[in-house]
Amino acid sequence: MRIKIEKMKNYVNDHKMIFICGLLTVLAILPFIIQDNYIKGILVKMLMYGTLASSLNIINGYSGQNNLGQAGFMCIGAYTAGIIATSTNVNFVFTLIFAGIVAAIFGYLVSLPTLKLTGIYLSIVTLGFSEIVRLTALNWTPVTGGAMGIKGIPNPSIGGFLLNKPEHYYLIALAMLVICLFCMNRVIKSRVGRAWLSIREDEAAAKSLGVETYKYKSINFVYGALWAGVGGAFMAYYYRFLSADMFILDEGFNVLAMIVVGGQGTLIGPLLGSVIVNTLTEVFRFASEYRMVVYAILIIGMMWWRPQGLAGASDSILAGGASLKTDKKNKDKKVVKADGNLRG
Amino acid sequence: MYLLEQLLNGLCQGSIYALMAIGYTMIYGVVGLVTFSYGEVVMLGAFSAFYISTAFGSNIVLGAIGGFVGAGIIGIVIHKVCYEKFLDAPKHIALLCTIGMSMLLKNLAQIVFGSQVKAMPEVIVSKNIEFLGLRVTNLQIIILAVVIILSISLSLFLSRTKGGMMLRAVSQDKKAASLVGINVKRTTMLGNCIGCGLGGVAGVLLGIYYGTIVPTMGGMVGLKAMSACVLGGLTNIPGAAIGGLTIGVLENLGIMVFSSGYRDIFAFIFLVIVLLFCPQGLFIQRKGRK
Repeated sequence: MRIKIEKMKNYVNDHKMIFICGLLTVLAILPFIIQDNYIKGILVKMLMYGTLASSLNIINGYSGQNNLGQAGFMCIGAYTAGIIATSTNVNFVFTLIFAGIVAAIFGYLVSLPTLKLTGIYLSIVTLGFSEIVRLTALNWTPVTGGAMGIKGIPNPSIGGFLLNKPEHYYLIALAMLVICLFCMNRVIKSRVGRAWLSIREDEAAAKSLGVETYKYKSINFVYGALWAGVGGAFMAYYYRFLSADMFILDEGFNVLAMIVVGGQGTLIGPLLGSVIVNTLTEVFRFASEYRMVVYAILIIGMMWWRPQGLAGASDSILAGGASLKTDKKNKDKKVVKADGNLRG
Repeated sequence: MYLLEQLLNGLCQGSIYALMAIGYTMIYGVVGLVTFSYGEVVMLGAFSAFYISTAFGSNIVLGAIGGFVGAGIIGIVIHKVCYEKFLDAPKHIALLCTIGMSMLLKNLAQIVFGSQVKAMPEVIVSKNIEFLGLRVTNLQIIILAVVIILSISLSLFLSRTKGGMMLRAVSQDKKAASLVGINVKRTTMLGNCIGCGLGGVAGVLLGIYYGTIVPTMGGMVGLKAMSACVLGGLTNIPGAAIGGLTIGVLENLGIMVFSSGYRDIFAFIFLVIVLLFCPQGLFIQRKGRK
């Protein structure tokens, strides 16, 4: 059985491009096959949260910093897009990019006090940042609309062609996710990505080998915030309505739950987590108050039995106790894994 | 005069935050792991006091004991679920576990207690006392007194009793403590239980001070306790108390300058600024812990 799976894995790896192209084609055609608008909406949500979870995965999964305030970056991106879209008439692609850049600037600002911090200090600063952003959005009425929020965000359009159907949003979200994952894949395999991974595995060792940890941690925050901003901007266009309540800490924890379930530090993990969590959301829609309870049990259960997530390798450093037990057995394998396949 | 009154309000709120921060520091010091479910513990302490007061008549001593016991029991549950298995595992696992626990407790509380705001039964008839031209309510004095009594008894417990010595030993070095025959698991559970109990009493005081309790009250309050603890340097109990007082005072002074909608921001902005300049918190301990 195991040999068969190995063989299949090798086959897929050898013909990676073909498989990816095939999968993309299927995904692109999907909304035109499915007629139900409700299911299309769920699919759009899955892709959107896939991007958002990937953005958090950049920070939490690849450089091992415990950022818990991703909702703050999303909020900045969404409000930037909302304000631009309601007051000016620029193309929505530009708005998405601009929102990402604004969020990235804030990501840099957050990274400044957190560079020297680790563990709880970092977590509490990011949490505090998220709340600062949300409360500012709630109270800065002239710009953000205050408690009323931003209403009537126009549908995006490309060259006069109005994009207002669920399948249009689906294709935009798909394009966003694919670009995000593609860029991430490239970045993780570059010098910067290797620096992040080395910081995650052992910061002191990375420093002693000449990795400028402050610089790379800062870049990490900026890059993660950039994609969170883009995802948030898409959120603004998709819901066409923004209020500060959409970015409470629970929203950040929701995204966190996705990467925990899917697997931190893997490319496919956040998407997998997004699919699972969004499916659960819809399954438990009849009992909406129990939904968060289910999330909570999911997070605790994952931590108890599979802390590296569904897609995570069992010899990953994130696996914690499980890996400690099998450490001796897998020692040789681990070394090969560490420099051969960077879990990208 | 207005400034002085706001300062006094700040001190009163700050003392509640200080009590929470002391409990938080206790947990972090003994267990060595972060908790994000502390706000929910505070909330559950307030709710157990609420149900005890409605059942047995309102009495502040009874309410405080109820809050302590209720929150302490939750502390044991949290310890069993989130810490016991992960004492030696990477720290982010326990952290995520407590986040899950926080979501679980908050939403279960909303289902069990109902999500609407509840009025805390009036424990003390509020009276204004003129003191050197300042208007002070007897509620503020009682809250300050409760906090001071609890802090003193905690420090006596830690320095004079066998249990306190065990707690301090475990917080300094778990391995060495187990070598001299201390049951580390049970001691960490005790520390967690006491820390959570103090949080529960703080929740009761918060409920009495504002007059209302709600299942979602924990989130912001827990964050503030955590900020106060970080300001004090994480394992420093007097430092945490001063951190809590500082946050309470700053909030009330901030309201005077900006609108009250921004109230919850000041604590975090102050925290970020402090951490920017001294990443170890306001009070650096002379004895280093790893």
